[in-house]
Amino acid sequence: MTTIPLPSAGPVRDTIEARPEHDNYLTHTRGVLSWAFTLDHKRIGVMYLWSVLGSFLLGGIFALLVRTELLTPGPTITESADTYNQWFTLHGAIMVFLVIIPSIPAALGNVVLPIMLGAKDVAFPRLNLFSYYLWVTGAVLCILSLAMGGFDTGWTFYTPYSTTTAAGGVIPVLTAVFILGFSSIFTGLNFVVTVHKLRPPGMTWFRMPLFLWALYATAIIQVLATPVLGITLLLLIVEKTVNVGIFNPAMGGDPVLYQHFFWFYSHPAVYIMILPAMGIISEIIAINSHRSIFGYRFIAFSSIAIAMFSFIVWGHHMFTSGQSALLNTLFSAISFSVAIPSAVKVFNWVATLYKGSVSLTTPMWYALAFLFLFTIGGLTGLHLATLSTDVHLHDTYFVVAHFHYVMMGSALIAMIGGVHHWWPKMFGRMYDERLGTIACWIIFIGFNVTFFTQFMLGSHGMPRRYYDYQPEFQVYHVISTVGSYIMAFGFVLTAVSLFGSFFGGRRAPANPWGGRSLEWQCASPPPFDNFAKAPRVGDCYDFSVVHWDEKTGGYWVDEPADPEVNPSAAPKAAH
Amino acid sequence: MDTPTPPTFWMPTGASTIAPGVDHTLDVINWICYFFFAVILALMVYFVVKYRHRTGERFRTDYPHHNTPLEIGWSILPTIIVIGIFVVGFRSYLDIYTAPKNAFDVKVTAQKWGWTFQYPNGAQSDDLYVPAGQPVRLVLRSSDVLHSLYIPDFRVKRDVVPGRYTYAWFQCDFPTGQPGKEPRNPNAARVEGDLDEAQRHALFCTEYCGTGHSKMNRYVYVLDEASFGEWMQKQSRWIDDIPEDQLWFKAGPKLFARCSQCHSLDGTDGIGPSWKGIVERVKAYPFVGEGKRYGTWEDYVRTSILVPGDYVVPPYANAMPTFKGQLNDLAIDAVIGYMQHLDQLDPKTGKLLPTLDPETAQPRAAGATK
Repeated sequence: MTTIPLPSAGPVRDTIEARPEHDNYLTHTRGVLSWAFTLDHKRIGVMYLWSVLGSFLLGGIFALLVRTELLTPGPTITESADTYNQWFTLHGAIMVFLVIIPSIPAALGNVVLPIMLGAKDVAFPRLNLFSYYLWVTGAVLCILSLAMGGFDTGWTFYTPYSTTTAAGGVIPVLTAVFILGFSSIFTGLNFVVTVHKLRPPGMTWFRMPLFLWALYATAIIQVLATPVLGITLLLLIVEKTVNVGIFNPAMGGDPVLYQHFFWFYSHPAVYIMILPAMGIISEIIAINSHRSIFGYRFIAFSSIAIAMFSFIVWGHHMFTSGQSALLNTLFSAISFSVAIPSAVKVFNWVATLYKGSVSLTTPMWYALAFLFLFTIGGLTGLHLATLSTDVHLHDTYFVVAHFHYVMMGSALIAMIGGVHHWWPKMFGRMYDERLGTIACWIIFIGFNVTFFTQFMLGSHGMPRRYYDYQPEFQVYHVISTVGSYIMAFGFVLTAVSLFGSFFGGRRAPANPWGGRSLEWQCASPPPFDNFAKAPRVGDCYDFSVVHWDEKTGGYWVDEPADPEVNPSAAPKAAH
Repeated sequence: MDTPTPPTFWMPTGASTIAPGVDHTLDVINWICYFFFAVILALMVYFVVKYRHRTGERFRTDYPHHNTPLEIGWSILPTIIVIGIFVVGFRSYLDIYTAPKNAFDVKVTAQKWGWTFQYPNGAQSDDLYVPAGQPVRLVLRSSDVLHSLYIPDFRVKRDVVPGRYTYAWFQCDFPTGQPGKEPRNPNAARVEGDLDEAQRHALFCTEYCGTGHSKMNRYVYVLDEASFGEWMQKQSRWIDDIPEDQLWFKAGPKLFARCSQCHSLDGTDGIGPSWKGIVERVKAYPFVGEGKRYGTWEDYVRTSILVPGDYVVPPYANAMPTFKGQLNDLAIDAVIGYMQHLDQLDPKTGKLLPTLDPETAQPRAAGATK
C-alpha cells in the first residue's frame, strides 16, 4: 500500500501567510494561449463565469427592452410586434440556455467541485475544455442567428409556429441549443465520474458538502435528460428542412407530441437550474451560521429524490393542451409530490439558523433573499399544480411571475450569492461588503416590485407574450417596469462592488467566512494544483474548530487529523 | 346569485357558473400560502436577529444536529396539505372539463390572427355571442398554428390545436347586453375611449402565435334567450339583405376589419401589401389579363382570398390564412367593391368618410350635421 502524504502539524494559516505573493492558478502561466488551451478546471470555470456573466448582461438588456416596451399599451419603443417578439424570445433563450443552465454547474461548479472534493482536477480535463468550446460555439451560433433573420418562436420553439415562421434564424438557433446541450451533457458526465472516482481517502459520501450532492444530482439530470432535448430539436430541424411530418399536422404530425418531448427535457431542466442553487444555499447558510446543517442526510437525499421526481412531472406544463383528463390528473398528483422535499429543505435551512452564530455577510444576505423568494416561488407552484386554478392561470403573467421567482429569484440569486461566496477564493480579493449588501437589497426590492406585480397581472387575466394589452393592465405594467429598472441598478452596483475588488480590494485570506469544506483550506487564489499539501478531510459542518484570526482578517481551522487517514495524529485534536 | 362576483385583489369578475368554485379553491391555497410564508419569514427574521454573531466572538456549540420527530412532522404535514389541495382542485376540475349534455354548440375557428365563431343556423361573428343561462360548448379548431382560447371572467382556457378538435364549455347566467350595431375590434374601441360599455367579457389568445398574437382578442357578449335568438337570425343573413350596389360600403368596412391586421389602406407596409392603389397594381401584373393565368384582376383577388398561396407576389411571404367557407360570394364581391372605392374611405379606420351619407354613400347635403 502506498503511503498517503501526512498532513504536517500546525495550523493551516502558516502556509498561506508565509507566501503573500504565492504562485496561484491565475499567475502560474501567462498569456492568452495559456488560458485558451488550459486544462485547469479553475481557469475553465473562470472562463465560463465571464462568458455566462456576459450573456447575462445581454439577456438583461433584452429584458429591459421588453419591460420598457410594455410601459404603455400599443407601441412604446418599437412600432413592430415582430421586433418585440424577437426580444422576449432572445431574453428567454439566452437566459435559459446560455445563462442559468451553465451558470452554477459549469462556472462555479467547475471552479469549486474538485477543490471541495479534495481532487486536483475533474476526471476528464480535456473533455471539460471541449465542453467550454462547445458552449462558445453554441453562443456564437445563437448570436449569428440574429444576423440570419432572428427568431421569434419563444424559447420553447412550439410547433407548428416554429417550423412555419418566416424568421430566418430558427434553424441556426436550434442547432445552437443542440450544441449547448452537448456542452451541458459533457459537464454532467465529468462531474458524475469525478464525484465517483476522485474522492480522496476520508471523503466518504456522507462527508461531502451538500453543494457536491447537489451538483451530483444535477449532473445525473444533465446526462439523462439533455439527450431528449437534442433529439427533439433534431427532429424539428429535419421537419423544417426536409418536410418530414413529425409534429406539423399539415404533414400528418402531432404538435402535442412536440410538447411532450420538449417538457420531458425542460421540466428536469428546471431542476438543473434549482438543485445546484439549493446546494449553494446549503453551503452559505451553514457556513455563515457556523453550525452543522440541520438534517444533512435529508437534504442530501432530497436532492436525489427531487432529481428523480423531476422526470415524471413534465405533463403539468400541458394541462390545457388537449392532454386527456386522466393524464392531467396523474401529472397534477405527482407534481404535488415535488412540493414535499422542497418544503422540507426550506424548513431545514430555517432550522439551521436556530442557535447558530449568524454572520450577515454579503453572501448570507443573498441566501436570506433566496429563502424569501424561493418560498414565494415554491408556494405559488401550488396554484399551478392544482388543476382547476391552473386552467385559469396557465399562460398568463402568473406563470411568468412564478418561474421568475424560481429561476431568477432563486437560481440566479443563489448564483450571485455563490459568486460573492467564492469570489475571494477565485480571485484573491475582497470586495466592498457594505456596497455588496446594499446592492443585494436593491436587487431584492427591485425583483419583488417587478415580479410580485406580475402575479396580480396574471391572475387578473393578462396573457403572456403580448406586445399590446388592454389599458386596465397598464398600472401593473408600469410598476413592474419600474421594478426592473431598480433591479438593473442593483446589478450595476453589484458589478461595481465585485470588479472594484480588483482595484485596491483587500487581499483575501484563505478562509474569509469561516468555512470548513476543503476549498477554504487552500490559499486564495488556490495554487495551480489546488493544495500545497494533501487536504485533511474532516466533518465539513463542524465549526467548533474554526477560529478567527485578527491578523489575516480571516478564519483558520485547527483541524483534528482524521483517524481514518492518519490514526497516529488523532489525539492532537485539542487546541 | 344575481350578479357576477365582483373583482377582488387577486381575481377579475367571475361571471360563469364555475368561477365561484375556482375562486374558492384559489382562496384556500392563498391562505395556506400566507400562513406558511408568514411562519417561515417570521422564524427566519427572529433567528437571524437573536443568533446574530459578531466577528471574533466564539461560535455557539449548543445547537441540535437534527430532530427526528420534528423532521417527520414537517414532512407529513405538507404531505397532508398537498393531498387536500389536490383533491379540491381535482373535483372542481372535473366540472370544468366535462360539458353538460344539453350544451349549445358554437364552432370556433382560430387563425392568425382572429377568431371566427359559427352558430348552428350558419351565422358567423368575430366576437362571441352566447345565450345566458344555458351551457355553451365551444368546439375549437385551428387553421394554422397553436392558439388558446381564454376568457378570464369565465375562468376558462383551452388550447386550439391544428389537426385536432378540442372543447371548452361554460355557462354564464348574466346577460351583458349588446354592443352598438357593429361588433367592435377591442383595439379600435380602446382608441375611441369607450371601453366601459356593457359588462362584456374579454376573450384572449394565450398561446403565442406570432405577430398579431396580442391583437387576437375579442369580446364575449351574453344575451338573454330571446334576444340571442333574434341576434342569431339577423346575423345569419346580414349580408344577404344588403342590395348589391351597397355591399362595398355596408359590408366592406366590417369585412375589412379582419383584413386590417395585415393590410393597410394608407400605403403602410404590413404583413401583406397595402391596398392603396391595389386595383391598378394587380391589373398591371404580368400574370393578370386576358389569356394569362388570371383572366381578370377580380379573379386574382378572389383566388388570393380563397387560396392565398396560389400566386404570392414577392417580397411577401405566404402568410395569409384561407377564407374559404367563411366568406361567401356576396362577401367577396363586397371586398372587391371596397377595393374599388378606396378614395371614399377613411384610410385610417377603413370606414366610410364622415362626409358621406352612411345610407347612400353620396355626399351629405350641405349643412347636415354628422
